[in-house]
Amino acid sequence: MKVNLHPRTGLLFNAYLLMFFIHKVQTGVGIVGLPRIVYLDSKHDAWISVFLAGVITGIVIWAMFIMLKQYDSADLYGIQVDMFGKWLGNLLNIIYMVYLSACFFAIFMNYIEIVQVWIFPNLPTWQLSLVLIALSVYAVQGGVRVVVGLAFLAVLGTLWLAAVLIVPMKYADSTHLFPILNVDIKHLIKGMYGSSLSMMGFELLMFFYPFIKDKKNTLLYAQIGNLYTTILFSIVTLVSIMFFAEDSLARTIWPVLSMFKIVRLPNLERFEFIAVSFWMLIIVPNMSAYLWAASKGFSRVINLKQKHGIWFIGILGWALAFFVHTRSQMNAVTDYVAKMGFVLAFCYPVMLSALVFMKKRFMRRKADNAQGS
Amino acid sequence: MLKVRKRIFFTVLIFGILFVSGCVEQKQLEKLALVTAAGYDLEKKNVIRGTVVVHQFDPMAQNITRMISTTANTSKGLRQGQNLKSNQKLVTGQMRCVIYSKELAKKGVIQLVDALNRDSTVGNMVYLTVADGSAKEIMDVDNTNTKISLGTYIYNLIKQNVESEQILSPTLQEFNHNYYDIGRDPVLPVLKVQNQDVIIKALALFKDDRYVAELGAKQHFYLKILSDRYKAGTHELGFKRSDFEKIRMKKGEHSIRDVYNKLFIDIDNINSHAKLKMIDKKTLKFMVEVKLDSRLLESTEPLDFSNPSSVKFIEKKLNLAMEKDIKGLLKYFQKLGVDPVGIGNEYKAHLRGKNLSKKEWRELYKRASFEVHVKNRIVKTGVID
Repeated sequence: MKVNLHPRTGLLFNAYLLMFFIHKVQTGVGIVGLPRIVYLDSKHDAWISVFLAGVITGIVIWAMFIMLKQYDSADLYGIQVDMFGKWLGNLLNIIYMVYLSACFFAIFMNYIEIVQVWIFPNLPTWQLSLVLIALSVYAVQGGVRVVVGLAFLAVLGTLWLAAVLIVPMKYADSTHLFPILNVDIKHLIKGMYGSSLSMMGFELLMFFYPFIKDKKNTLLYAQIGNLYTTILFSIVTLVSIMFFAEDSLARTIWPVLSMFKIVRLPNLERFEFIAVSFWMLIIVPNMSAYLWAASKGFSRVINLKQKHGIWFIGILGWALAFFVHTRSQMNAVTDYVAKMGFVLAFCYPVMLSALVFMKKRFMRRKADNAQGS
Repeated sequence: MLKVRKRIFFTVLIFGILFVSGCVEQKQLEKLALVTAAGYDLEKKNVIRGTVVVHQFDPMAQNITRMISTTANTSKGLRQGQNLKSNQKLVTGQMRCVIYSKELAKKGVIQLVDALNRDSTVGNMVYLTVADGSAKEIMDVDNTNTKISLGTYIYNLIKQNVESEQILSPTLQEFNHNYYDIGRDPVLPVLKVQNQDVIIKALALFKDDRYVAELGAKQHFYLKILSDRYKAGTHELGFKRSDFEKIRMKKGEHSIRDVYNKLFIDIDNINSHAKLKMIDKKTLKFMVEVKLDSRLLESTEPLDFSNPSSVKFIEKKLNLAMEKDIKGLLKYFQKLGVDPVGIGNEYKAHLRGKNLSKKEWRELYKRASFEVHVKNRIVKTGVID
């Protein structure tokens, strides 16, 4: 396998699209439950935890960029083979493929659960999953530019949802926020760990990197995307803490949707129905981004066509959906993905980039020495 | 060739998706009975009586509303029983208000409120109320002449009063917020049947989810001021006539009014700003600072408003009267052990490194003392002096 990937110029996309892409892949089903999950650990300082988690994400993105910069135009699949050799590298690649597919699975399953609880209690899982998977398969068939473009459109289409947060602000009680920084560092860090699931998605940068046209701008735009996500998440958490009473936030599974329940338009009694439906626009680009990255592994690692990979993962995900029935099973799946994500999106890339950086420096010094002597 | 096949494939796929999406449960308006109000009574131990008023869409029927009443152990058990008595499927998406009988409210309502919270079809803006007698009695009110469903009537009754700043908004959301907050208790309106009409009688003070006492309209004004979020509406204050002798208009034929032997002043609160501050954490001393901008609506005596000093005089009198009333109200809450103002929240906001439980706060609350400052400003006195 070649380490570097040189796609045709027609397949490249501009770096500024990363701004939207990174934000979009981070904002998925995670945000709907984020305030509660973080609140369980870091109480009313949850918004600080979320903000710090965003800062850490920024650092991880920076580390990834350092790593990617060492190569000409490589993705993670190539870098791992280059670093660890054919066998170990490909093993790690397959782990990543499983992880990306699991993310794909967790996203649509979580969304379907929301639809079933909030709108259609009798809707069978397989029907909606068929629709969602078909949509994302269709998008991924169109190639990387369609996937990124879809993310761009979805950001524009759902930007207004953030403005709806003004309505719950009317019912907010600011005393809930005080005293600021009341929890100890341990719980604050636990809260940061809790928000990692929602922050995930930026690791896709490592797979999309070869397709960026102006690679030198990658870091800037990726950071802008992450900054927006961080601010948005912190505000959402902040509003939730003020809006909900202490114990009820701990009990509400989807605080963001529950907040939307308060919105009441003259001829639309229940705004959350619109919000849940619009969430599909947020979900599909996420699903297709993960599906693209996972299926890319088929052509990079196993010498199959990416097209076959798309179908394989799509059908596998659809079939696996039959085995998940209850909320606790869904929780277990999500937790598992979150744990994998914490290692594979946060910890491992930083380690790998340190290794790559050291290796490249070592090689350069060796080359310099060889020249000098 | 391959392209054509691909196109056919995706066309089939998209049509498949279109048909699949029709498979979810259909809800036709003519086959539904919309629950607009639900009432709960305590029938006997472990058994509650649930009554719903439903709105039906039947072009043939004269009476569009119906009342269905059954008994069961839980609210969802009631729904089953009610469905057995209905020719149309009962749905709760349009539920406007929920009524709990006083007897039930005294024992606690959270198990029923929890059922509402769990149900995604129930909106968060449902009004919760307490019935002075039984809930069924209220739902039984014959409202054939009003032509609107009882649920809508009660909804409008409460909404009108909330919007004109007469009562605190009693939505499910606010009940939840105040119930689950450690330093705060909920407040709900009490409904009563009078002359075949449903009226708001008073406000019910809750301790957790239990009804404790009623609050009359007069104190309610102050509770609204203290809650800070709203303007406080109109208020009437009575004074001794002799106190105002100084600024009474003495000249003229029209200055003698003997209907009352006291002086009453009505003010309309345009703007209020209440600040609750903890002064001393050890002795639990709180300071309440209220700033009011109001209009003078009515005065039973011809007072001289043209003179700025007399307006100042009235303001001062109002301040003193209000300070006394607010202090009395806070003491009253303290005696009952209820905290609708959210003093506990203020205390908690200054509590570092410790967790406060509801029980601990109730104990501490008994020791709290209050200092009240009111600043009135009469900005307008109507079209005449």
